[in-house]
Amino acid sequence: MNYSFRKRVAALVCTAMLGLGTFSCQDSLLNLKPVALLDAGVAFDTPSRVLAQVNGLYSYVKVGGFLGGRYQIYGDIRANDFVNRTSNSVTGLAVWNHTLAETSQNDVVSVWGNAYAAINQVNIFLAGLDANTSKLSAAPFPSDYATTATYYRGEARLLRALCYYSLLQLYARPYIDGNGSRPGVPLRLTAESGSGNNNLARSTVAQVYDQILIDLNFAEQNLPLSYTAAQGSAAVSLLNVTRAHRNTAIALKSRVYLTMGRYSDVVTEANKLVPATAPYVAATGVANSLNASVAAVFAAPQETSESILSFPFTAQDPPGTQNQLAYYFLPTQLGGNGEYGLNTSTNATTGGIVGNPAWLSTDLRRTNFVVRSTATSAERFLAKYPTGSPYTDKAPVIRYPEVMLSLAEALVRTTNTVDTRALALLNAVRNRSNPLAAGATPIDYTAASFSNSTTAMLDAILLERRIEFLGEGIRNIDLMRLNATIPAKGTVSAIPSTAANYVWPIPSTELSTNNLMTRN
Amino acid sequence: MGARDLHAQTRTTSGRVVGSDGAGLPGVTVLVKGTSLGAATDADGRYSLPAPAGATTLIFSFVGYTSKEARIGDSPLTITLATNSTSLDEAVVVGYGTQSRRDLTGSVATVTGKEIANTPVQSFDQALQGRASGVSITTPNGVLNNPPVIRIRGANSIALSSSPLFVIDGVPTYSGNNSAVGSVANNPLANIAPEDIENVEVLKDASATAIYGSRANGGVILVTTKRGKKGQARLSYDTWVGVSKPIRLFDMLNAQQYVDIKNEAVRNLNANRLAATGTAGTNVQGFNLADANGNAYDTRWFDYIYRTGVSQNHNLSFSGGTDKTTYLASVGYTKQNGMLVRNDFRRFSSRVNVEHKLFNRVTVGARVNYANSLNSSPNSGSVGDGAFGTGGLGRLPLVLPPNISPYNPDGTYNTNGAGIGAGPNYNPTTSTATTLQPLLPGYYNPVVDLDNNYFTSESNSLQGALYADVEVIKGLHLRTQYGIDNLNFEDKAYYTSVAGDGFSAGGQAIDYYRTNKRWNWQNTAQYDLSAGEHSFSLLAGNEQQYTDVQRWGASRTGVADPFFTTFQGNYLNIAAAGNSQGSNYLASFFGRFTYNYGHKYLFTATGRRDGYSAWAQKFGNFYGLSAGYVISEEGFWKEAGFAKVFDYLKVSGSFGTTGNNQGVYDYVSLPLYGSFLYGNAGTFYYTQGANPNITWEKSKKTDASIAFGFLDSRLTGDATYYHNLVDGLILDVPQAPSRGIPGNSIPANVGSMRNRGFEFNLRYNVLQDKAFTWTVSGNLTTLDNKVLSLLDDTQRIAGTTSGLETANYTTVGRSIGSILAVPNAGVNPANGQRMLVKADGTVVQYNHLGTTGTGWTVVSSGANTTSPTQLADGVYYGPVLPTWYGGFDNTFRYKGFDLGVFIQFSGGNYIYNGTKSGLHDQRFWNNRADILNRWTAENTNAEWPRVVFGDNVSNGSTIVMSQNVEKGDFARLRNVSLGYTVPGKTVSKLNLSNVRVYVQVQNAALITKYSGIDPEISVNGGSNLAPGVDRNSVGQARTYTAGLNVSF
Repeated sequence: MNYSFRKRVAALVCTAMLGLGTFSCQDSLLNLKPVALLDAGVAFDTPSRVLAQVNGLYSYVKVGGFLGGRYQIYGDIRANDFVNRTSNSVTGLAVWNHTLAETSQNDVVSVWGNAYAAINQVNIFLAGLDANTSKLSAAPFPSDYATTATYYRGEARLLRALCYYSLLQLYARPYIDGNGSRPGVPLRLTAESGSGNNNLARSTVAQVYDQILIDLNFAEQNLPLSYTAAQGSAAVSLLNVTRAHRNTAIALKSRVYLTMGRYSDVVTEANKLVPATAPYVAATGVANSLNASVAAVFAAPQETSESILSFPFTAQDPPGTQNQLAYYFLPTQLGGNGEYGLNTSTNATTGGIVGNPAWLSTDLRRTNFVVRSTATSAERFLAKYPTGSPYTDKAPVIRYPEVMLSLAEALVRTTNTVDTRALALLNAVRNRSNPLAAGATPIDYTAASFSNSTTAMLDAILLERRIEFLGEGIRNIDLMRLNATIPAKGTVSAIPSTAANYVWPIPSTELSTNNLMTRN
Repeated sequence: MGARDLHAQTRTTSGRVVGSDGAGLPGVTVLVKGTSLGAATDADGRYSLPAPAGATTLIFSFVGYTSKEARIGDSPLTITLATNSTSLDEAVVVGYGTQSRRDLTGSVATVTGKEIANTPVQSFDQALQGRASGVSITTPNGVLNNPPVIRIRGANSIALSSSPLFVIDGVPTYSGNNSAVGSVANNPLANIAPEDIENVEVLKDASATAIYGSRANGGVILVTTKRGKKGQARLSYDTWVGVSKPIRLFDMLNAQQYVDIKNEAVRNLNANRLAATGTAGTNVQGFNLADANGNAYDTRWFDYIYRTGVSQNHNLSFSGGTDKTTYLASVGYTKQNGMLVRNDFRRFSSRVNVEHKLFNRVTVGARVNYANSLNSSPNSGSVGDGAFGTGGLGRLPLVLPPNISPYNPDGTYNTNGAGIGAGPNYNPTTSTATTLQPLLPGYYNPVVDLDNNYFTSESNSLQGALYADVEVIKGLHLRTQYGIDNLNFEDKAYYTSVAGDGFSAGGQAIDYYRTNKRWNWQNTAQYDLSAGEHSFSLLAGNEQQYTDVQRWGASRTGVADPFFTTFQGNYLNIAAAGNSQGSNYLASFFGRFTYNYGHKYLFTATGRRDGYSAWAQKFGNFYGLSAGYVISEEGFWKEAGFAKVFDYLKVSGSFGTTGNNQGVYDYVSLPLYGSFLYGNAGTFYYTQGANPNITWEKSKKTDASIAFGFLDSRLTGDATYYHNLVDGLILDVPQAPSRGIPGNSIPANVGSMRNRGFEFNLRYNVLQDKAFTWTVSGNLTTLDNKVLSLLDDTQRIAGTTSGLETANYTTVGRSIGSILAVPNAGVNPANGQRMLVKADGTVVQYNHLGTTGTGWTVVSSGANTTSPTQLADGVYYGPVLPTWYGGFDNTFRYKGFDLGVFIQFSGGNYIYNGTKSGLHDQRFWNNRADILNRWTAENTNAEWPRVVFGDNVSNGSTIVMSQNVEKGDFARLRNVSLGYTVPGKTVSKLNLSNVRVYVQVQNAALITKYSGIDPEISVNGGSNLAPGVDRNSVGQARTYTAGLNVSF
């Protein structure tokens, strides 16, 4: 090879290397952005993105570890209507046993974390709406978008109230204990994003309830009466069950007041939804009503007008492993995992509702929802949530009959009489599932059924709630709002309201990071 | 001098040079002492050269071998050269180049390919165990292709990766478990056939690693693959077959013992209820040997889960070279069956390395590796986050009752729903004398899973580089190299609908497909200049690397018919699963200047400027400085009397900084919204706040070293002190959960940590007889790890096992991941209750359901009290990282025989033996046989508390207690090998150049006081925060192999 050719090759290679390589650095590659996540700066750029954020708030509240399943389950298994079958500490064994520790991951730590994660999503969304008002008043937003934004604020604040309410039921002493003066939970109302701000003391139970009511009152005043137009593939029938409307706020308020023992306020709120006499259909907003068939209420797609608020699941958006209501309650033969069976003991104090003769054998709730795993099995299971994998039953939050029974109870307590309207409400719920067979004697409760004793009538209402809402997470609320002992079951002792484990421990994760936090 | 004259005065001397294995050594330099006359040996190691009449001695030298002198005799000589893997003159691969070990000032350990080849491992990094000082390698368990946990000089990070950067032939590659399926691991390094490796260098200090700048905090491991050698056409075939068996399996209760112990526990529970409530407990002694139909079983569950796995390995290569071209091509096949049923690893690999001198000063080359590997594993519960899974095979044989069978009498599977059937056992707490309720374990029938489920991870890897080197003027090399590392994974999981994890979903198939794509372009200019005693070398370069990782997948549930066992079959539902996307870019400029004066005074300076896409502030600078002084090169030394004996002494030191971005999220600094679903509506949600301040973790590394050689360097060694201060540790700073920050943490550069210690290497050729040689080498590293600062001095960072149990806490002033456990005060001889000590010194005891309160009472007063808690009452046990570790290697050769004995040792650490708590849990779980030494009225001085049915507190399932914290010291006979090299004469007749047969045992013996299955265990894999935890893991196998190496 001659020298000049070699030189040329060398020069060429050098030039190429120096020119293309040595000093190059591609600026665009130094500023890579993800393609599956949205830059925060454009999150409020279009109406559909804002709507997606509203839906995002719901999805946070309804995660399987919170109101998408576990919260309801824990509300039931704390008490004595269910027995633990699998001894699996991941599926609530320690909740059932009352042996929770502040480090218990799947319950104590997880419910707390999920609730506050949802609360912060709400706070961030509310702050984002405020920060982006100029964007929201220009194209592509329609000129009347301010109304829509107000609806969204209402939904956000209703969800925040629901989260705080749910936290109080597990982590704080009931309102009745010291009239709300006991420690509640930290009240976080502003958006949290950067570092710092870890320390926040617990507000009192009363202070948290005050905020819940402020949010719910705001929601009542600002939520739409109902959903009248489909949103994408979400039909109106679905939206009215799975998105908050005015009646949702009112219904939740009736629950909150009942839990606080403010019975006259319960009457006020419930009266907005429940007419003086049958038929029991809400007069304004979504026509929430007592559905004729209780079986239909829990049959897919669980979208009757009785369901005021439920959380939806689909195959693409399932509740997640070991969170599904049906997984816990349905026997394996029917597609669940039979984590909890019904407590068949007939003992008057430790027995479960299924062993209680007051729950008539012909009751449609028994004939429809109480099943055996096999024809010969002695065990009984709750089949209210009928759908196995991928577990798409909606998780109930509040149903119309709850408002009716809360009203009935409040009427009895405020009038201190065996109130006639309360009787009618109680009978309406009860008889829906106990229709008169031909030639049968009426089974309506009458004043005489209770020998005119308000206590006996209240017991009947509470019993009815226990039957009607079995597996819907109401039982714990009903025990604790009255400071009642959590009954014993099997080898598990009763938990009196004075016991430390009457309420859940505060999670170690909060105690170790929030220096102002105190233990229960 | 004329040629004719020369001929007249010379004679021809000839002979053959062989290695200690008897094979001919090609390319050995043979020099007539005192002249410049020399020759190189041919492919068979033969040489022939003219020697002047007066010449008496020949010198034989070869890189990697100890030089030898021999007298010129009349007959042909056969010279045996011994390898010297730490020879001072060998070339050591360093970042972007090579250096002679003699001139090296950085800390670089070399492991030769020979030490790696022929070992029954899936990836070469497993075989580095104990081989290099400063490198701690933990095999987390015996599941195939589970990446070992590699820590170079301690843990160097908390939230990011502490693993080293792996660079193969100059191209940084992927490491760690890349599988999307929890049960099956996939270590990308398994795509390199160990037989293809020439050398592995471990860069440890700042001087050596700073050239890798922001990726080098955890050290760098450089892998150089084999090349063809000039004049040496060679065809080699290496093969081995092996069998693997489990060892140290626990001795569990048999059916009779189980029934006795559990019923005793029920009787004790009844007694407790009577004492606590005044009414007799009504729990039923529900444990029976036979069911109502008389079917009785005594099942040893291990028998269904473990097996003797048979493995085989083949590697065929041919290589050679001319003046212009060298080449090596190899193909390999390995099929390894682990000791767990269905744990199989298979790899096809192929490699081509060529280099060609295009023109006189232009060299081009390519190195390409293609491999297909397929790993299949059952759900061992030992990989990923599976420790507490109800189907984990590490756990099932420990918890399942021995009195039930995996099969019904009719041969069908024994199942009940997802779990295994109850067998003859009835639930003591829910049964009544008249209504017996079956005791359903809730755990899975392992045989159903093993027969029907599968978890596989298959990868296709194309990794390699093209390069060109131009020597523009003498000593100035311009080099460009373009490398790619494209790795695709197909990860599959199938769960049968029969029972187990797939039961409630009605059968499930999940497939994931992942692509890792990387290009790496390096351009360097290197100028070497020697002038007299001065030698300079200057390197300047640029490197760019772009990496793109994407994964998509879907889960199908509700199999339409059991016939379908693949994702492609028909199912009722499908949902997206495992989608992820990430990309990053690194742009770098670097330089290195080395200078030495007469190989006596040595100096190296390195600098690197890195720009990385993940940070808001893109660029950072890193540097290293080092100097060395070879005292033995001084005249006074050489003339001193002791120089004959003490012939080499070098002192050196280095200081510098490196960084760490390994494992940081690609978009960590950006404010982001994620998207999911609310029913059938799309959502956006806040998922990450802006984080503009986060940047590299930086490590300040200081190193001081002394290296020596005695007795003609028959005894060589070095001692090094290292100090590594990691600053700006990225911590996922825990946020109060009530703030609702996604993930409850925000990454920030807030912590610091130091690792310091000594490293020692010693190598001694004890005997170098013609027939018998004996070489001893050993290394020892000490480690003192301490966290210096976190967010604040009170911060405790939890390390959680499988999201369920937190044994480890990282705190300021202690070693990372120390175990926090409530102190155990033994078993109260008076009543058989477990006693723990609260922080205030109160000794408390637990009696399950035996009191009106929590079960806890104060020992001294009997008063009810609250349960002790880990956070309030725990004390720290640490460190969990070994404080000393190393290896000890003996090689004996006698004629054709070679014997290698390699011992690996480690210790000074604590292990949280969570498995032990499960093994003594008093739910229906089976127990280890030592539970028989439980407290009874007759046996009051017992090891274990009185058994009470349902008690999951006393032995540690609910409280981390010191009872289950043990020391992890061990010495393992990691490898014993015996080989025989067939004599050259016999071999030559068969037209072969080398034949060696060998047998070896891996994990031949283990000396430890640790009571668990294996002291070398890490159920949380490479987790920095939760190391040293043993929870339901499978141990390591013992593997026997027999092999053959032939070359033509």
